[in-house]
Amino acid sequence: MSARQMKLGLFLWATGHHIAAWRHPDAHVRAGIDIDHYIKLAQTAEAAKFDMVFCEDAAGLREANINIASQTSRSIGFEPISLLSALAAQTERIGLVSTASTSYNEPYGLARTFASLDNLSGGRAGWNLVTSASPIEAANFGATGLRPHADRYARAREFATVITGLWNRRVPGHDGESFSVRDPLDIPPSPQGAPVMVQAGASDDGKDLAARTADVVFSAAQTFEEAKAFYDDLKGRLAAYGRQPDDVKIMPGVAPVVAATKAEAQAKYDALQELIPDDVGVALLSSYLSISDLGRYPIDGPLPELPEGEGMKSRQALVIEQARRDGLSIRQLARYFAGARGHWRIVGTAEQIADELQARFEGGAADGFNVMPSWFPGELDAFATLVVPELQRRGLFRKDYEGRTLREHLGLKRPI
Amino acid sequence: MHLAISLNIAAADGQDVLDFGQITALVRNAEAAGVDMVIISDSADKPSSSPFEATTLLAALATVTDKIGLVASASKLAHQPYNLARRFASLDIISHGRVGWNATTAQNPREAANFSRPEGFSDDDFRRRAWEFINIVRLLWIGWEHDALLFDKASGRFHDPDKMHPANFTGEFFSVPGPLNVARSPQDVPVLVMSGLAGTELDFASRRADVVLLDKLEPSGARATRDEIKRRAHEAGRDPVAIKVLAVADGGPEHDGRSLEDLCLSSGCDGIVLTVQPRAAAVEAFVERLLPELKRHGFAKAQGKTLRDRLGLSEDSKP
Ligand SMILES: Cc1cc2nc3c(=O)[nH]c(=O)nc-3n(C[C@@H](O)[C@H](O)[C@@H](O)COP(=O)(O)O)c2cc1C
Repeated sequence: MSARQMKLGLFLWATGHHIAAWRHPDAHVRAGIDIDHYIKLAQTAEAAKFDMVFCEDAAGLREANINIASQTSRSIGFEPISLLSALAAQTERIGLVSTASTSYNEPYGLARTFASLDNLSGGRAGWNLVTSASPIEAANFGATGLRPHADRYARAREFATVITGLWNRRVPGHDGESFSVRDPLDIPPSPQGAPVMVQAGASDDGKDLAARTADVVFSAAQTFEEAKAFYDDLKGRLAAYGRQPDDVKIMPGVAPVVAATKAEAQAKYDALQELIPDDVGVALLSSYLSISDLGRYPIDGPLPELPEGEGMKSRQALVIEQARRDGLSIRQLARYFAGARGHWRIVGTAEQIADELQARFEGGAADGFNVMPSWFPGELDAFATLVVPELQRRGLFRKDYEGRTLREHLGLKRPI
Repeated sequence: MHLAISLNIAAADGQDVLDFGQITALVRNAEAAGVDMVIISDSADKPSSSPFEATTLLAALATVTDKIGLVASASKLAHQPYNLARRFASLDIISHGRVGWNATTAQNPREAANFSRPEGFSDDDFRRRAWEFINIVRLLWIGWEHDALLFDKASGRFHDPDKMHPANFTGEFFSVPGPLNVARSPQDVPVLVMSGLAGTELDFASRRADVVLLDKLEPSGARATRDEIKRRAHEAGRDPVAIKVLAVADGGPEHDGRSLEDLCLSSGCDGIVLTVQPRAAAVEAFVERLLPELKRHGFAKAQGKTLRDRLGLSEDSKP
């Protein structure tokens, strides 16, 4: 039996994860209206034997200030379930995971949709359950503001219970706080039984729900210690739900910038950093901190004291922690954050990046990684052709798929 | 004469359901025969054993075909208007402008019970909610002007903020500020297909729909409804040729090319829509027997890149 191997997801995001990616001279600027671009990315990831591609989602603009929004590529893109359904017909092995909100969907509808994607793809579908932290989204569903964090998670827990019941062929007859569902699912069992359940919430409520229901957890962490603490915390919660540590794969985000030499990689990163307008950087930081007016503080001064928001609690804490630890000004923090929204960044050669990934993987801080190329397609190509072969040489990553379904790639048991 | 086929996946029962490969083969055969569009039905009022939901199936079909129009039913109870508008705008971009939404108007009794509406809707509430829903979706679809995206790397302007328009809709059932986070679709707005119409619904359809599907097979009834729709469209200030009325008919063995041609001519309709049952044997019979005959009888000669072009809808329907 081969040694434990890491799992790799490709986190798709139109022009790339860096906020200024679209301005990179070689970035495909029409990504958000070009299905062929996505087909190529998914096929590249599949040729490199990635476990899955992953789409984030929000049902609304990312940024309320239109002047800021118009300086980013993030106000338009594909709705992810249609995107992944299209990719299902153009790929054969790679997993297809989409985010969908428990706040703005109904479990019966989402159960049908993901079961259909699982059928279309021969067992490669996954659902990333989120509770949606943006007031812009809330407004598009008739709400006057974001509902409290705890309420959103209560609804998410009920949602998860109902949808897994539908997938597992229980006759629900469910009549609960947020949902009522009478009939069994009208789509026959899909190849994986139930699509893979992914979660990405890192608040206490989020981790608890993940421990109960998730097969995969995406996370954000800067340092080894943060990643390790999150890993141990989540794995430690599993026993309470009768689950084994191996039942859940924890995959922190990583934004690599890779080149033949460290200096070359650093130059690539610096060039991208030059393309960030300050107001865009500060606005992005503000939205993740759930504060609307960070722009009125001196940009070269420290981050002000902030109340805990109702948005993404875990990401807010992570950013504040980093600002304090490294003594960063608002401008410095915004520029750093614009690179990968608080995820871990490594700039270096393929060997250096492989060393870092190996250390977190073998040090018990990750089961794999959610790879976030800074810009597409260039940084994905670089990762696939430079880093993946290095990981394979070290025996850390597969050279070919072992199975057909996403559950098989991830080494997960079939539910029920 | 336009020709649509309706693949009734919602009627699938038993073991003999079509897989993706079989559906692809049918749609490609239809495309080769010049069929204007295939309409994928969705949830019915009884459980179906189709492995697919219509919009996901349609996205996959869009990547394996390149001319035929692709229409999916999606219910106004199973979706929120923002989500549904996004799904179809995306599908239209994925298919390079070949998509339509079949906005069925009948209430499906199973849906309220499974979508957290155990109390259901009165017919009147359901209807008012439906109109609101369709109007929101349309507003969201036209939120971005055609040339709103600048892609200007040097100046750092991705889009022109003056060419992005919020929907700002507040109504009795929904409130949706928008705008949509999907670009303007290649057809400007995906084709709006309506079916299952009765009474006051005809009026709304005459004002909003691009295609109306009639479910009265009897030619005189079909003609009367067709005339009524065209008259109301005219009253609403539309060019009556910009709304296409298709008579319904079953695509089973009781029909041949001549009888369908007769039906189409005597009803005065713009074409027909043929329902194909989702079983391998029914599909095979349809492809081998009826499809070649329909071609011979002059159905589906239209050309065009987008579904709107194929149906001759381009002019009037520009918002
Ligand atoms: C890798 C990653 C991807 C995420 N993607 C989304 C997303 O697409 N949409 C979303 O609303 N939240 C996303 N989140 C955040 C949510 O998972 C989470 O539900 C958040 O909204 C609130 O959770 P928390 O307060 O428990 O952290 C993501 C988080 C991570 C780490």
